[in-house]
Amino acid sequence: MNTGKLGSGESRLETGISYLLMAGVIISLVLEIVGVALLYFSNHSLAVSQNQSVFIHGNDFFTFLFQQFQGKHSPGTGLQLMTIGIIVLILTPFIRLVTSVVYFGWEKNLKYVLITFFVLVVITLSLILH
Amino acid sequence: MLIPLLVLLGIPVKEAIACSMVAIIATSSGSAASYVRERITNVKIAMYLEIFTISGAILGATITTVIPPVYLYFFFAAFLMTSFLKIRHSNDYEFRASQHQDRIARWLGLKGSYYDERTKKVMEYNADKAVLGGLGMLVAGLAAGMLGIGAGAFKVTVQENILKLPPKVSSTTSNFMIGMTALAGVSVYLFSGLLNLTLMAPMAIGATIGAIIGGRVLNKISDKVLRVLFFFIVAILIIQMLYKGVTSV
Repeated sequence: MNTGKLGSGESRLETGISYLLMAGVIISLVLEIVGVALLYFSNHSLAVSQNQSVFIHGNDFFTFLFQQFQGKHSPGTGLQLMTIGIIVLILTPFIRLVTSVVYFGWEKNLKYVLITFFVLVVITLSLILH
Repeated sequence: MLIPLLVLLGIPVKEAIACSMVAIIATSSGSAASYVRERITNVKIAMYLEIFTISGAILGATITTVIPPVYLYFFFAAFLMTSFLKIRHSNDYEFRASQHQDRIARWLGLKGSYYDERTKKVMEYNADKAVLGGLGMLVAGLAAGMLGIGAGAFKVTVQENILKLPPKVSSTTSNFMIGMTALAGVSVYLFSGLLNLTLMAPMAIGATIGAIIGGRVLNKISDKVLRVLFFFIVAILIIQMLYKGVTSV
């Protein structure tokens, strides 16, 4: 099957996005599975908890992200791996967006740089402000 | 479809909505990975329409955090029913590309082509009515953010009936956009104290595995079968919306 220039004609972008999305979901899947397994070994239960410690708390996404990777919140535990898994999942479409802005910039396609940049700014602001 | 079940199991409705949005990112990204590679998804059309879906989703999610969504369930149930009218009349429908394209759609280069594995042909198409389609996506985003759903069925309806895109392009492009729409919704719910890890993690695991498998099946199915499947999914969504409305009165 020759699919060289189909879709929207942006074949390199499409290939890149495809690998990016797949990598994002697989990394997140592995982290979630290991996280859930660790949580089960320590709690001996997989029931949905309403304990405050299982809810995500923070002030803005990017500060929260750095704190997680610095291991400031319960490092090495199932809950930490599950949190990082969710962060990876949230970052997957975000990085897809950054990649698109860079790709259209490199292609000198100003219209689509503006379109994707607008979406990136709105999402980033929403992640910072909420 | 998960939300009524979660509510029935005693999960607070707003928590169910917020956690579903995270699972939706997994569903969209997992299945989009294979559609995008097969060049069925139109990434340019998706990126243009995302301007509208994310704006709607942020607004919708913000509304949900402040008002009780009870009347909206009924509104969206009624709203989804309208998508049956078009489907019933076009049961024997196989896609024919629209020759017409408005000025904005042409300026943005909203067109494309894909290889249909079933008919063994390259299908070419143009998008029409870019502004009206965008407004439709604003409504789709609003519903998605507000109710914690992908609003994929509605996005497909807008793309097929207003933008005049082929069914497979509509469903895969809609699926691709759902991830960004859900991210916009999640950005609002993130620190609202509604994201429960013990609920999200199993949902994300199930959604990812399901999506990766589903994404490998679509291009092998005929447009007619896809439409019948879509019909049943819309029917289930209507029941879901009515159920949500009744249970939250």
